[in-house]
Amino acid sequence: MLEKLKQAVLEGDSERAAQLTKEALEKGLEPERILNDALVAAMEVVGEEYERGDRYVPEMLISAEAMKAAMEVLRPELVAAGVKPRGKVVIGTVEGDLHDIGKNLVAMMLEGAGFEVVDLGTEVTAERFVQAAREHRADIVGMSALLTTTMTHMPEVIEALKREGLRDGIKVMVGGAPVTQEYAERIGADGYAPDAASAVELAKRLLGES
Amino acid sequence: MGVGLRGGIYRPLREEEVRRIDEGVMWVLGNVGVQVNSEQARELLLAAGAKEKGNNVILFPEKLVRWAIHKAPSKVVLYGREDRHNLTLEDARVYFGTGGTVLYALDLETGERRPTTLVDIAQVGRLVDALENVHFYLLPLYPNELPKEQVDVNRFYAGLTSTTKHIMGGIYTMEGLREVIELAELVAGGAEALRERPIVSFITCTVAPLRLDALYTDFLIEIAKRGLPVAIPSEVLAGATGPMTIAGSTVVQLAETLAGLVVAQLVNPGTPVILGTVSTVMDPRRAGYLSGAIEMGLMQAGVAQMAQYYRLPLYATAGMSDSKLPDAQAGYEKALTALLVGMAGANFIHDAAGPLEFCTTVAYEQYVIDDEILGMVLRAIRGVEVTDDTLALAVIAQVGPGGHFLTHPHTLKYMRTELFSPKVSDRELRERWEAQGGLDARERAKGIARRLLKEHRPRGLPLEVDEEIRRRFPKIALPKGV
Repeated sequence: MLEKLKQAVLEGDSERAAQLTKEALEKGLEPERILNDALVAAMEVVGEEYERGDRYVPEMLISAEAMKAAMEVLRPELVAAGVKPRGKVVIGTVEGDLHDIGKNLVAMMLEGAGFEVVDLGTEVTAERFVQAAREHRADIVGMSALLTTTMTHMPEVIEALKREGLRDGIKVMVGGAPVTQEYAERIGADGYAPDAASAVELAKRLLGES
Repeated sequence: MGVGLRGGIYRPLREEEVRRIDEGVMWVLGNVGVQVNSEQARELLLAAGAKEKGNNVILFPEKLVRWAIHKAPSKVVLYGREDRHNLTLEDARVYFGTGGTVLYALDLETGERRPTTLVDIAQVGRLVDALENVHFYLLPLYPNELPKEQVDVNRFYAGLTSTTKHIMGGIYTMEGLREVIELAELVAGGAEALRERPIVSFITCTVAPLRLDALYTDFLIEIAKRGLPVAIPSEVLAGATGPMTIAGSTVVQLAETLAGLVVAQLVNPGTPVILGTVSTVMDPRRAGYLSGAIEMGLMQAGVAQMAQYYRLPLYATAGMSDSKLPDAQAGYEKALTALLVGMAGANFIHDAAGPLEFCTTVAYEQYVIDDEILGMVLRAIRGVEVTDDTLALAVIAQVGPGGHFLTHPHTLKYMRTELFSPKVSDRELRERWEAQGGLDARERAKGIARRLLKEHRPRGLPLEVDEEIRRRFPKIALPKGV
């Protein structure tokens, strides 16, 4: 059963993954076991294959989507059983930047890894980032910029979080083509990731998981 | 992806220019003639209506040349020991492979230039067996440690045991040629089986300008008698052994290879002959041979067009470099000539993997790099496929403005076939590239070569055949298990 579910996630079959999760719950399997032995286990394989270069990004994303579909079925049961979610991420492209494919990738990967993602979309102002972070009690704020002219809005968001007294309880991650580790440090972000797969690793690390 | 693709998408000659070159070739063969230094060949030619001008120079009547062009097969199939490696040489089908014959290799570990040995022939053969864009194994190296009378049978044996791809090679002695044919018959299962499915083929060069050498032509006659495939390349050096102009040297090389074709068809009408060119341009600064000149690519592409005009298969040359090591020069020279000649649809493009330094040296890692170049070239030759499904109008409509195609089934369906997947090229972000050692292409290729030599095990000869061969030829010098 769990092996089949794992397989469905590996193949990126969302419908089947949701269906099998439902069946597993009906059979009385523990939600946490379903999560760890099937879903997380599948995504670990996905990660390994991606690292080796055997799995391409689109193949990784459909697995992430299948994982997300399964999680939607599983999440209420996990909450009921008192299993805490991995963390909540508020994400968006910064003010003036309409380029969102990279941000979408990161969002999909984070969801696939079991994070809850609040996607604010594109051209998100500092005010909206702050508002969403407060409203959703975010653990992480993720910002993306593709242009050197728009990435300068990133420090504005960090300043706004500080002003509102939210900065201490929230980790800030940044990414996008012109962004570097050095830039992230300069503006006082907590982390930078060069691509979607490393963004997941970074998010886990920032929340003290690995 | 990319075995036996059709080229012919690059045509440097206009139709009218093809006709003018053909007329020029016939005029040279009929009025200037070719010096034929093989007595057997002269006798055959004279009996067929050719005239001797004195000093062994034979004038070829156009009718005789046209007869031979007509008699020779338009399609020649060269076989591998495994059928997936068969090469169908016809019209504009393209195959790439190795070539030589060189005397030196850059040692994979020390980088030092050292004389090649028999073991190198088997090692490079194993590498070639593993490289998917190298379609045949033309024996590229000379075993420097062996006396001449042992070279032929040892070279072909080392090739046949190390890869199941087709083996072609030059020969050094008549006795050696006969031994190689016997060896190939033992592997193929008899003379008839070898003629049916030639797993080996030969090369007999002409000597520019306009000469057929005595020994090579006698080899040609012997091979034609057996009905085995043979390439007859002309090696004109434009400016030295041919006119400085590409058009003029094209005429000379076609006259030479067609003269060889006539001899082969007279010996045995229908003999599978592959027209050939190794021709290039001279470096005017030192009157030297060049292997990476862009004009070589241009000339070879033009000859490919001429071979298609004659409806005869062509052995062509591209993908070489004059650089002394696998560097940027090697990369661009190889890529440019391989692309031009491949797009022109030359059938059997040799020297396209391995050689450096005017085709005197090979490097193990260069084979790996060249496999990558050829993969890209083959992708270009494959071209753009336009169908309802590839136009993807329904997919575009489904995704719509502002959506993304990343996870659409259409993307997943095509991403492995629409794109060439590099093995040597680095496409990582800087951080990751640095974490992997910050290696350049040459170092990465060395790593791949080392891994393939360690892990790849080609299908060897059946044990009993191998034992029979070693019994029949005690001079086989390759240690068992290499």
